[in-house]
Amino acid sequence: MGLLQNINLWGDDIPYLSGLREKSRISFEKNGLPNMKNEAWRFSYIREENLQNPIIDVEPVECDGHCHKSKSLPFDAIKIEYCNGKLHTENQNLPKGIMIKSLVEAIYDGDVKPYLNKSFAGDDFPFAALNGVYLEQGAFILIEKETILSTPVYIKYYNHADKNRLCNIRNLVVMEHGAKATIIEHFCGEEKAVYTQNTVNEIYVGNNAELRHYIWQNEAKSAHHIALNSIQIKADGRYFAFCANGGCMFSRHESYIRLLQEGASAEVNGLYKLTTENQVCDITTNIRHLAAHTYSNQLVKGVAKVKAKGVFQGQIHIAPNAQQSEGHQLHRALLLHNEAEINCKPELEVFADDVKCSHGASSGDLDKEQIFYMQSRGISKEDACSILVDAYLNEVFSLNKDSNISEWIKADF
Amino acid sequence: MSDMLLQIKNLYAGTSDNKKEIIKGLNLNIRAGEIHAIMGPNGAGKSTLSYVLAGKHDYEVTSGEIVFKEKNLLQLAPNERAAEGLFLCMQYPVAIPGVTTNVFLKHSINAQRKYKGLSELDAAEFLKLIRSKANEFDISPDMLKREMNVGFSGGEKKRLEILQLSLLQPNLAILDEADSGLDIDALRMVAEGVNKWHNQNNSLLIITHHLDLLNYIKPDFVHIYADGHIVKSGSKELAVDLEAKGYKSYLEE
Ligand SMILES: Nc1ncnc2c1ncn2[C@@H]1O[C@H](COP(=O)(O)OP(=O)(O)OP(=O)(O)O)[C@@H](O)[C@H]1O
Ligand SMILES: [Mg+2]
Repeated sequence: MGLLQNINLWGDDIPYLSGLREKSRISFEKNGLPNMKNEAWRFSYIREENLQNPIIDVEPVECDGHCHKSKSLPFDAIKIEYCNGKLHTENQNLPKGIMIKSLVEAIYDGDVKPYLNKSFAGDDFPFAALNGVYLEQGAFILIEKETILSTPVYIKYYNHADKNRLCNIRNLVVMEHGAKATIIEHFCGEEKAVYTQNTVNEIYVGNNAELRHYIWQNEAKSAHHIALNSIQIKADGRYFAFCANGGCMFSRHESYIRLLQEGASAEVNGLYKLTTENQVCDITTNIRHLAAHTYSNQLVKGVAKVKAKGVFQGQIHIAPNAQQSEGHQLHRALLLHNEAEINCKPELEVFADDVKCSHGASSGDLDKEQIFYMQSRGISKEDACSILVDAYLNEVFSLNKDSNISEWIKADF
Repeated sequence: MSDMLLQIKNLYAGTSDNKKEIIKGLNLNIRAGEIHAIMGPNGAGKSTLSYVLAGKHDYEVTSGEIVFKEKNLLQLAPNERAAEGLFLCMQYPVAIPGVTTNVFLKHSINAQRKYKGLSELDAAEFLKLIRSKANEFDISPDMLKREMNVGFSGGEKKRLEILQLSLLQPNLAILDEADSGLDIDALRMVAEGVNKWHNQNNSLLIITHHLDLLNYIKPDFVHIYADGHIVKSGSKELAVDLEAKGYKSYLEE
């Protein structure tokens, strides 16, 4: 069976779609799964045996619907739900200016050609290529020009089967010029579920459009999670992302961002928390400044409470013509266990001379003087540590502009 | 006289890592209601004594005994000592980035209340209490919203320490150079705050280099401390005499 299985997918008779799948298959066959010999995956790769013979379903998965009875959200949202990798469409009244379709429907209607599989090369992203082999499940979200969406779009991914399932999901987000929206992705699963979530989002931020993207990765303990966010931003477009990685055995959250035109900006912040022995959590970014006056900023913080591994790889590329651009990056890790391992790989490629760039990395333990000071006021050592860890993480939460969403994630992080 | 609050018996202590001996045979008794002042040259080990009393991990007691409110102090964790009623106003208060002063103070008071089996203060109760205290020490609501001790001036930090003394109402307060870095008005405010808290049940151990503070807070006993122990004890007159003559004459005795 392996990872390349011959299963009948919807639309195999549509040459455009089968062509995309074939292209992806060729790429994946050529490159295979990344291992420690691939520079981009050297700190964190999934062992082949963990991905052997996964179940890749064609038929809709039977679901008793219990996954939809999730805790209600503390805010209004437009909902998109995936259960065991399958999109559940529900009729809901959408506000003006937003269109949501299943990927299949959007392909059928001919909406996606300029966007689908257009924002990255499969050879550079092996898991995205694998995702392309099974291109079918996904959503197409279009925010029409000048639409200011006040209700966020909430995408929930839930897995509850105790099977070794591989879920390939592809979402397309198109923000037309001047549009403003917030998207929340919430990855979760039943405690015992075993699966690999392989999501690719292709996001297009138009002129002067703004997307706020919140990602709350709280997958089941034994799950694997791979996400690629491939983002293109046009003139004066703004992309803001916050990802909180708390769950699963292995996760890799990758952002591949291109600031295509003048005034484009991206802010990508993240947190990771290592609480399960041997957990691996990887945050990888590649931000490419391809025009003048572009701006990017990143703050990523991690906490390791057990023997586990955290990875941050941050690449900032400033092209020769991207004068007067700014790219900043900071990674900090808190090591609360002496066998925890943090790998940080900042890479700055600067080809323009009139730019401002910075990067920094640090890792360490909690400050003993601070703990003693708090103890001397009556706070127990344990409480002092947890207050200090919260304060440490809070620096990243405090950058979120939607406090209700931020608080909702923080409460469970 | 009144009850014994703190007894230090033949104490020897030093640093935990390289075992450098700093306190060498110290004896001191403090009864409820008494005010003691310790004066001594730089590096004599005064702050070390205050840290040993508060339970800082950097220091280790090699021999001797400390009894506080009839309990073996050395067996208690620092937070337990605080909740039992020992307060250390630090020479160098520590900044806690990411935790606002308000939140910090609420954690402190509620941790101590919990230890004593009292109900924790809710947000409204705490706010009411902290507002009146802040007013007393001329600390603005804005300052309480700032991160604890982050970017506070030397004087602001000391005022905040005394605010905590007033908030936590301990039985024994150790003021380690509470007067350093204070302007004239702040010194008076700090002294008034201390005097307001002090009564016949509460005792004070003041570590200072200056007579000024002792003119506001009148000590019952003054101890000259050098090379890890007390070399001479007396009344407040000793401090006056010391200011005139300097340490030299006492250390040579
Ligand atoms: N953690 C430590 N490690 C090494 N030496 C220390 C440590 N703490 C204190 N000392 C040393 O012990 C001695 C006493 O220090 P301490 O701070 O107690 O003095 P002090 O009497 O408070 O001085 P001052 O009047 O300057 O505040 C000094 O020589 C100091 O350098
Ligand atoms: Mg000192």
